[in-house]
Formats: sequence, structure tokens, C-alpha cells
Amino acid sequence: MTAAQSAAWTAATAIAQSAAAGPELVLAVTLGVLFALGTFLVLRRDVVRVVWGITIISQSANVYLVTMGDITGGVPILEKAGHHAAPHGPITDPLPQALVLTAIVIGFASTAFALVLTYRVYEEHGTIDADELADAGEVVR
Amino acid sequence: MTQHVVVAPLLIALSTAIICLLARRSLRVQRAVSVVGVFAYAGAVGLLVLRVLPDATLTYNVGGWPAPFAIVAVADALSVFMLCLAAVLAVPSLLFSLRYVGDFGEQLTYHPLFHFMLAGVTGAFLTSDIFNLFVWFEVLLMASYVLVVFYGNAEQTRVTLRYLVLNLVGSAVMLLAIGGIYATTGTLNMADLAVRIANPAEYGVSLAPVLGLSMLLFTVFAVKAGIAPFQWWVPATYRAAPAPVTAMLAGVVKKVGVYALIRLYFTVFAAAEFDALAGLPWGDGSALAYFGPVVLAMAALSIGFGGLGAIGQDTIEGLLAYSSIGQVGFIVLPLAVGALVTPELVPGVRHLAIVASLVYALNHTLSKGLLFLVAGTIRDATGTTRFSELGGVAREQPVVAGAFLVGGLGLVGVPPLSGFFGKLLVFQSAVNANAWLPLALALGGAILTVAYVSRAWNRGFWGDPSPAVETAAPTDRVQVGLVVALALAVILVGVGFQPVFEFAGHAADAALDRGQYVDAVLPDGGAASGGGHA
Repeated sequence: MTAAQSAAWTAATAIAQSAAAGPELVLAVTLGVLFALGTFLVLRRDVVRVVWGITIISQSANVYLVTMGDITGGVPILEKAGHHAAPHGPITDPLPQALVLTAIVIGFASTAFALVLTYRVYEEHGTIDADELADAGEVVR
Repeated sequence: MTQHVVVAPLLIALSTAIICLLARRSLRVQRAVSVVGVFAYAGAVGLLVLRVLPDATLTYNVGGWPAPFAIVAVADALSVFMLCLAAVLAVPSLLFSLRYVGDFGEQLTYHPLFHFMLAGVTGAFLTSDIFNLFVWFEVLLMASYVLVVFYGNAEQTRVTLRYLVLNLVGSAVMLLAIGGIYATTGTLNMADLAVRIANPAEYGVSLAPVLGLSMLLFTVFAVKAGIAPFQWWVPATYRAAPAPVTAMLAGVVKKVGVYALIRLYFTVFAAAEFDALAGLPWGDGSALAYFGPVVLAMAALSIGFGGLGAIGQDTIEGLLAYSSIGQVGFIVLPLAVGALVTPELVPGVRHLAIVASLVYALNHTLSKGLLFLVAGTIRDATGTTRFSELGGVAREQPVVAGAFLVGGLGLVGVPPLSGFFGKLLVFQSAVNANAWLPLALALGGAILTVAYVSRAWNRGFWGDPSPAVETAAPTDRVQVGLVVALALAVILVGVGFQPVFEFAGHAADAALDRGQYVDAVLPDGGAASGGGHA
């Protein structure tokens, strides 16, 4: 995993450097790194890593969804004038936040199922190596 | 109150699933609720059909909010046509599983999952909101994961893991596409989307990203429909699941992808004029010009791969699973023709193409559902579906073998079965459009279908009974009855084809009549919609 570690280090420095250039760029670079990491993990032989990979990919899709609203605005809801009378600038679009909330819930459920299934695969086959699983061949019940 | 009929099938499927969960202690109650639920579902779909035909479009705004803000359920002729496919196959599949899955399995979670899957399919057919479409996809997928892994053996867990990983990646891709479409157009409502991309200048929409994002969405639907090159999960998954579940996966769940293609491409994305596509010698400059060649290539791959793969299979289920890949190629082939040839060149070509696709989808639902249930019946009686161990079923079980023959000939397209008109319309849409390549593809695919169906018949059903068939347990009467009923349906649709053809015609009208769809969903014209940063 040393290659992955050094890749992660490079990515971290890239994010730190882009922080100076504004939040959009930081998010874009972060998302790119997350998708790359997720894809890297999905292509591993170890099934647990594959599950981690799809978890990371679906979570980065969620982060991406948040950025699809306007991230430069402030709060996603207007406060009632008169209560606090806080001066607010442009508001953030609340819809992507609602979408992300839905997607997160679905993502958690899928991840939980994927982990349980991985355990079951281990119990049935005695291995979580994708190559060894493929060698198990097409046994029709 | 009248609008509630739109969501009635959805509510019935959901509440049946929940009541089945609550009644899990008593198998008898659970079975009764489940059977009543599936008949009520079919009844609600029937009621909806009566309300919608010939050309009404009913909407249901969730929470009573106005259109672009509310999630809108829309029942037009296209939606109810697809709902009919679901209802027609769900009833025999569920009744079949009462005699197939076994007490222990049914007690576990079978009935709630079946109805959750049905609810997911129904929601996907009814929604007019692309994010909501994602949610219903997830509902049906979550249920289907558990149904595929149902027997929990080594093979099932391995196959489900593959199916799960593929679909989770697909979900992430779908989220990316949906998020991008929201960011560029400022809306998720399909009707509002159609309005905005038709007038990009007025709404400040930049169209180029929409084209790319629409193709990203297309890959997700292609995965769901199992179109090559996204077909590789299909054979193993269909072999692993219990027979009635496989019948539903092939007959109904696959059609969700097909429905989404028709609805989004022909009703929504075809509204836009893309400058980049205007110079192409084919198409009309809408997203269909891009969609057409891609779908044509994928349909060709599917037909070839599915047909050749089916010939080499050594079990009935394997053969049927590969055949599903080939048949979905036939379903999308006319869509490619309709996308490539503009109505200016050949009047009515799109209408005919969608009718062909829908009629073929109906034929595939009935025939393939029937064939998978026949495979289940044979497995229950003989304990095997390997061609090497079968043989002579026609002599020992003439009724079951006859049903298989009807289903197989339905796939081949022999008159007067439903498949004949499906094939005829596919050929006719290609001929009318002067599209010789699709015609050649359809012919080649038809020959492959004849090859694998006759091979299955010769090796599994004809000849002298094998030891496994001679010593087989007597077939279950209910199973045989259901299989015969479906076989009769295949014949009936063919013999009394006129009303089905008219229904499919109305559905194609609905798919192409963007104005009516938009007017129904957005009564005030949709200009008032939100999305601050559009």
C-alpha cells in the first residue's frame, strides 16, 4: 500500500495548495481524489476493499451532489425576519441538501447490506479473494 | 379524490409489503395478505387503465404542492402500459412462488420483498421526477438483491455480490448525472426539464453538458435493462434467483430500464436542439441523434451475444438468461431506428418504432415469464434443468412441454402468438424507415432465436425420457395450471391483437406528445418554477 500512501500524500498537498484558490477548487480536487481512491479500491481482489471502494464512491457522489447547489451562499433556509433579524446574504439552494439526505440514507442501507453479504460470502466460500471466488466457477444450485 | 387512483397501485404494493412484514409470524396470514395484495394491485392497475385510456393524463401531486416543487406521479398511456406488464406477470409469479419457494423461505421474507420489488417498479413507472426515479430504482434493487441471494448458497452469495457492486456503482453514476442535470437546468421535474431544454436561452440553460449527462443516465438504464456491453451480470443472476423471481426480473424489472429510455429520450431529451448534433446526416439535432447510433450498436451486440450465448448453454435457465439479453436487443432495436430516422423523412416512424418496442416488450414479458416458470416446474419435478440429464419431457409431461413450446415459439415469433406481431412490427419499422442494417440484424437475431429454441426443444423435451424424467415426481397441479394460463395469454394476445395494438398506439402517442405531458404536469406552463441558480 506504499504506492497508495504516497498517492494520498500527493493528493493532500494538492488539496492544501488549491485551498488558496477558493472553495470550488478544493472541492473539485477532493472529489477527484475521492473518486480515484474509490475506483482504485473497487478494482482490488479483496472483497472488503471493494465494499470500501463503493462506499467511498457513493459518498463522494453525495459530496458532489451538495456542490451542485450554490456552495458560496450562506444558510440553506431563510430565517423569519423579526425573530433574530440576522442579516443574511444569498441563501444556499436547499434542494440538493434534501437530495443528499435521501442519498445518504440509501447509501447506508446498501453499505450495511454489502458488508453483511461480504461476511456471508466469507462463510460460504472461506475466502474473500475475488480471484479465488471467480475460480469457484458457475455451480448451479 | 379522483386523482388518488394514480398512486393506488403503489400504495397497495407498499402496504401489502408492510402488512406481510407485520404478519411474519403466521405463514397462513402472510400468504393470504400477499395473494389478496397482488390481486388488488392488478385491480388497481386495471382501474387506472380505464381512467387513462384513450388519452387522458392523470397526475398526483404529492403533498398537494404545485408541480415543479411537488414530486408528481403521472399516469399516462405509456406508464399504464408498463404497469400492465408488471401486473400481468406479478399475479402468476406470486401464485407460482406459493408452490415453489417452500414454507421456510416464505416465512422468512419472501412476500414482503416481492411486494417491495413491485412497489419499486410501480414507482419508477409513475414518477415524473428524475431523483424520485433514482429512489424507486433503489427500492426495487434493494429488494432484488435479497431475492437473488435468497437461497443463500455459495453460488448465490458470489453472484449477488457482483450484482450488488455493479448496481451500487450504477447508482453513484446515476447520482452524478442527476446532480449535473440539476446544476445545469435547475430542475428535476421531467416536464419542467423538457420545457427548459426546449428554450435554453429563456431559462439560461447551457445545453452541451445536458447531452453528456443524458448519456451518463443512459448507461445506468442500459445496466438495468441488461443491454450489451452491460449484460454480463444477467446470466449468473438469473440462474441464481428462484424461478418466479427470475420471471419477474426478466419480465418486469428489465422493462424499467426500457421504460426510462423511452420516457427520458423520446419525451424529455428530444425537446432540445443541440448545435453540436445539427450537422449530422441523421437524426433531427436532438439528443436522439446521439442516442440512435449508440443504441443501434448496443442492440446489435445484445442480439448477437445473447443469441450465440444461448446456443451454447447446458441448462434451461442459462439458455433463457442469455436469450433475455438477445431479446432486449430486439426491444431497443426499433428505438434506435426511431431515433435515427426523423419523422420529416418518414412520417410516423417514431410512433411505429415505439409501438414495436412496446409490443415486443409485452411479448418478452409473457413468453419469458412463462418459460422461466416452466423451468421452475421442471426443476421441481425432476430436480434438474441440465439438458444432458433431461429428455423426453414431452412424452412424460405433455402439458408442461406444450407450454414450453408455446413460450419458445412466442420468442421465435410464429403466428398467431404474441411474438409474431412483436417481430412483425420490429421488421416493419425497419422496412418503413429503409433501415437495412437494423433489418439484417433483426433477421440474424430471429435465426439465432430459432436455433436456440429448437435446440432446447430437441435436447430437453423431445426423444426418449431420460432416467431423471422417468423417475420424476408428479408435477404440481397449481404450477402447471399457472404455466398453462400464461401460455394461453401468449396465444390470446396474438389472436386478439387489435386492442393490444391500439393500447400500444396510445402509449406511443403519450411518449411522443411532449406538449400533453408538460401541460398535465405543469398546468400553469412551468415558467414559475424555482431553482435559483438556473
